[in-house]
Amino acid sequence: MSFEAWLFYLFALLLISSAIGVVVVRNTVYAALLLILAFFNSAALWLLLQAEFLSIVLVLVYVGAVMVLFLFIIMMLNLKVEQVKREGGKYFPFSLVVLFLLIVELIIMLQSSLFDKVITTSDTTKNIDNTAAIGLLLYKEYLFPFEVAAVILLVAIIAAIMLTLRRRGDVKTQDIEQQIQVQSSERIRLIKLPSGRQGS
Amino acid sequence: MNGIGFALPEIFMLVAALVVLLVDLFLRQHSRILTYMLTQAALLAAALLVYGNFADGPARQVVGDMYMHDYLSSLLKVMALLLTCVIVVYGRKYWSDHQEAPGEFYVLVLFTVLGMMLMVSSTHLIVLYLGLELMSLSLYALVSLLRDDSRATEAAMKYFILGALASGMLLYGISILYGLTGSLELLAIAEILSHEGSAETVPLLLALVFLIAGLGFKLGVVPFHMWVPDVYQGAPTAVTALIASIPKLATLALLVRLLVSGLGNITSDWAQILMVLGMLSIMLGNLVAIAQMNLKRMLAYSAIAHMGFILLGISTQTMDGNSAALFYALVYVVMSVGGFGVLILLGQAGIDAETLYDLKGLNKRSPWFAFMMLLLLFSMAGIPPLAGFHAKLLVINAVLQAGHLVLAVGMVIMSVIGAFYYLRAIKMMYFDEPDDSTPLKWDLEFGLTLSLNGVWVLVIGLMPSFLMTVCVRALDAKHLL
Amino acid sequence: MISLTHYLTLAAILFAVSIAGIVLNRKNILLILMCIELMLLSVNLNFVAFSHYLNNLHGQIFVFFILTVAAAEAAIGLAILVVFFRNKRSIQVQDLDEMKG
Repeated sequence: MSFEAWLFYLFALLLISSAIGVVVVRNTVYAALLLILAFFNSAALWLLLQAEFLSIVLVLVYVGAVMVLFLFIIMMLNLKVEQVKREGGKYFPFSLVVLFLLIVELIIMLQSSLFDKVITTSDTTKNIDNTAAIGLLLYKEYLFPFEVAAVILLVAIIAAIMLTLRRRGDVKTQDIEQQIQVQSSERIRLIKLPSGRQGS
Repeated sequence: MNGIGFALPEIFMLVAALVVLLVDLFLRQHSRILTYMLTQAALLAAALLVYGNFADGPARQVVGDMYMHDYLSSLLKVMALLLTCVIVVYGRKYWSDHQEAPGEFYVLVLFTVLGMMLMVSSTHLIVLYLGLELMSLSLYALVSLLRDDSRATEAAMKYFILGALASGMLLYGISILYGLTGSLELLAIAEILSHEGSAETVPLLLALVFLIAGLGFKLGVVPFHMWVPDVYQGAPTAVTALIASIPKLATLALLVRLLVSGLGNITSDWAQILMVLGMLSIMLGNLVAIAQMNLKRMLAYSAIAHMGFILLGISTQTMDGNSAALFYALVYVVMSVGGFGVLILLGQAGIDAETLYDLKGLNKRSPWFAFMMLLLLFSMAGIPPLAGFHAKLLVINAVLQAGHLVLAVGMVIMSVIGAFYYLRAIKMMYFDEPDDSTPLKWDLEFGLTLSLNGVWVLVIGLMPSFLMTVCVRALDAKHLL
Repeated sequence: MISLTHYLTLAAILFAVSIAGIVLNRKNILLILMCIELMLLSVNLNFVAFSHYLNNLHGQIFVFFILTVAAAEAAIGLAILVVFFRNKRSIQVQDLDEMKG
């Protein structure tokens, strides 16, 4: 086996085992961390497929933003390790069989000779690096969907703020505007005290 | 970007949505009426724009071959925009009953329609996917708009999970399609597949199964229907009306584009799958609806049955069948929006009407609106001379023409069984005493819209030929792709 | 030699595992959301593999858009989850049961 094949099998094995880990572990934090591992491994696989830009984007966007958001929510909801009620237990063997059949079926279907292509290192894109090629395509041919993607992100912002922002009455916060508009006369009151000598 | 002008309605909708969003930000609670009026103006203006540039000639691909300007997309856009106007009118009453005026409702409705418009006129799989997600994401947010209602949030959670699952399946199918052809453009895909002689290969079948599963989820047909009753019941009624109409039209367009024009010439395997799914939906929808006392759930199961009719229409693979399915969809969305309109009418401050008992004695409380509901329910049941009758007749006729006698008989039997639960609702309206005789409140605009909605069903029922001609034109080979 | 089929098989296994995670999950909803991310990852792997072997960048562009949408989807999903948690004080799958019939 070539070095590349070794790398493929290594990352593939790690990817599948971390994916299975996400599904079976009980602790949600572990699941999130395993998912991060899965993302790292597939980023490595994408590097093997010469998709450098996407591979780095996967790490930056997914691990850096999406998974941090997940971990943030886990912390916020303060989830304990689950005491799993094994209600689904009796269906579990049955489901495993279904899963196994699904995998076998998918694999058999994908063994088609149509997909039996080996690596073609034809180099039409070799004189331009992956990032530049994607950039050119994205901003020229795919400008229209690019704008739509921006709208989708806007909708996500609106929805996330609308759902989670609430103005609570019982929280004490600074009102900076009020603070800087304050006048010295509102804070310091000069009182005339009678001098103390009188009494004695 | 050649011909970006064709996308003017979409661009206009986007700008309008942004304006509404910004204006709403600076409005106080009591002046939210401005948001409402701007939204209506935007929808009507967009409908005018689409109508003004109605694609009557042969179909054209513009904007870098990503945008389809054809009769079908223009028709569906005008329909969806006008229908959304109606839903927004109902929505205003709904939210004023809840003493809330969330400006986000209007903004997200606009984004939903924008997503739908992108979907119906896309021939590129990326645009199609993005339009679908824009529509779905806005809808997930809309369902959870009642943040403190635990049923609404539960419905939103279910809708989200199953919607995301459906998108994943659709994407998996698309990825295989891409692998087979190396293209993401529907026309090119159809072309390459028909040339290579690789038709009927196993991977293509696999892609097809995943595409149909994804679309089936979005459309809510058996066996992908689990979310439909819960989401219909849990969502705010105004949003339910939206879910019952806009995504259905969009998914129908997707079915036509992906299966009929995209893969229609290459493989006919999808027809059998659709036939099975359609018949199962009609059976399950009609039988389970009988057991529902919650009117929203009942309408949900009846929606499953109606979607079954649409699938069967398309599964005939004939011109008649396709246009019958389109006719059915256009009639169905109006009926169901009207049904939810009546439910919103029955709602009172803070309380949603949602069970069949809320319909009791409607005739005594308001004979006119009871009559409107009668028209809508009769039409859904398929009783002549209403629009729903012609829709059912056309589809059954097309199925018969295609030589599926057993299917047609099954459809007739199931329609008769289905008539039972509609008639039960009508009996409650006319022959039962009202549990609650608080007078109904509505303003002129709401009353007029609801009346228009009911009368439309009657008018189309009496003069179906106009809509039929339109549907036939829309799916004519000359005007499609 | 690693062929396209290897990558497709890997993606298929990943896809099946994530579907299983969604369908069989008896634990909490957060795990379902993670499985959805995993499912999109498997689709992306498919696209990148095809894109490389077909020597055609359109697949990678699709992945770019899927990543964007998935991020937006995660944001909305988690927001809905937070609202759900506020109402029910739980994110157990078995609490998705208020409506039946």
